[in-house]
Amino acid sequence: MSGAIVKNDMKLMIVDDSNIIRGRIARVVETGKIPDVSVVGMARNGSEALRLCQERQPDLVTMDLTMPEMDGIVCTEGLVQIKPDVRILVVSALRDKATALEALQKGALGFVCKPFTDDQLAGALNELMERQT
Amino acid sequence: MSDISEERIRVFTDAVKRYFSQTAGEAVEIDTAFLAEDGNPVYYDYTGLISISGGFRGCVYFSAPRVLLRHLLVAHGEADHREENLLDLVGEVANNFSGNAREHFGPAFAISPPVAVKGRPDRLKSDGFRRRPFVISVTWKAYTAAIAVCVEGAAQA
Repeated sequence: MSGAIVKNDMKLMIVDDSNIIRGRIARVVETGKIPDVSVVGMARNGSEALRLCQERQPDLVTMDLTMPEMDGIVCTEGLVQIKPDVRILVVSALRDKATALEALQKGALGFVCKPFTDDQLAGALNELMERQT
Repeated sequence: MSDISEERIRVFTDAVKRYFSQTAGEAVEIDTAFLAEDGNPVYYDYTGLISISGGFRGCVYFSAPRVLLRHLLVAHGEADHREENLLDLVGEVANNFSGNAREHFGPAFAISPPVAVKGRPDRLKSDGFRRRPFVISVTWKAYTAAIAVCVEGAAQA
């Protein structure tokens, strides 16, 4: 059985402490570069994201790492426990390999470095959706 | 003098070039880095500050005039140019520069979430500017901003 998510009405949650970046990611989705995805929630830190995940049950998550209250690594681990099939794309300025590896070990499936272009983000999210688990 | 070498300042200039290229699709002019005057850090209208800890200690900040930040908001597709978003952006830019530097310094270069301020950044004195920071001047669309780096570390950066 394929592990790829059916792309109809996929739900995306955006987690980032920057309002500018949350808005930017949402606009990339709205432009249609990522078909059949809708934003169902935005969180400013890991704690908010965990609460929102239980309520909105997202299929996809973009996850910042450096955030107040709860960082993205801890949050990634928590989200996977709440919803094991959630697909998490880390979107972070932290460019070192150790951080990327740690995020992947905690359950993230992809990594996009900030700063990013709209096409880079859309490409990474589309790739994440097509990926077999 | 800062413990961070001039050569490694290039890590930050590369981050600056990358940011403006990826975000705005445009090149920036970067002047030669210089050591700021004691107790007199360079700043503009808004400043985003990142505290550095882990194997290093100090801070990195990005300071920019309002008009430059408004142009950057446009580049991000953000139509809301209220104060809240100007502060958010200046912090996010500082986060980008500091986070990108980990490609060179590694995870021991631990960065805090940004603190953004308007006006004179009094807080800078208590956040690691015991030494003279390296300052990198950046000009984009004829507007000048600055990145200041004041980091010392056990790893002898």
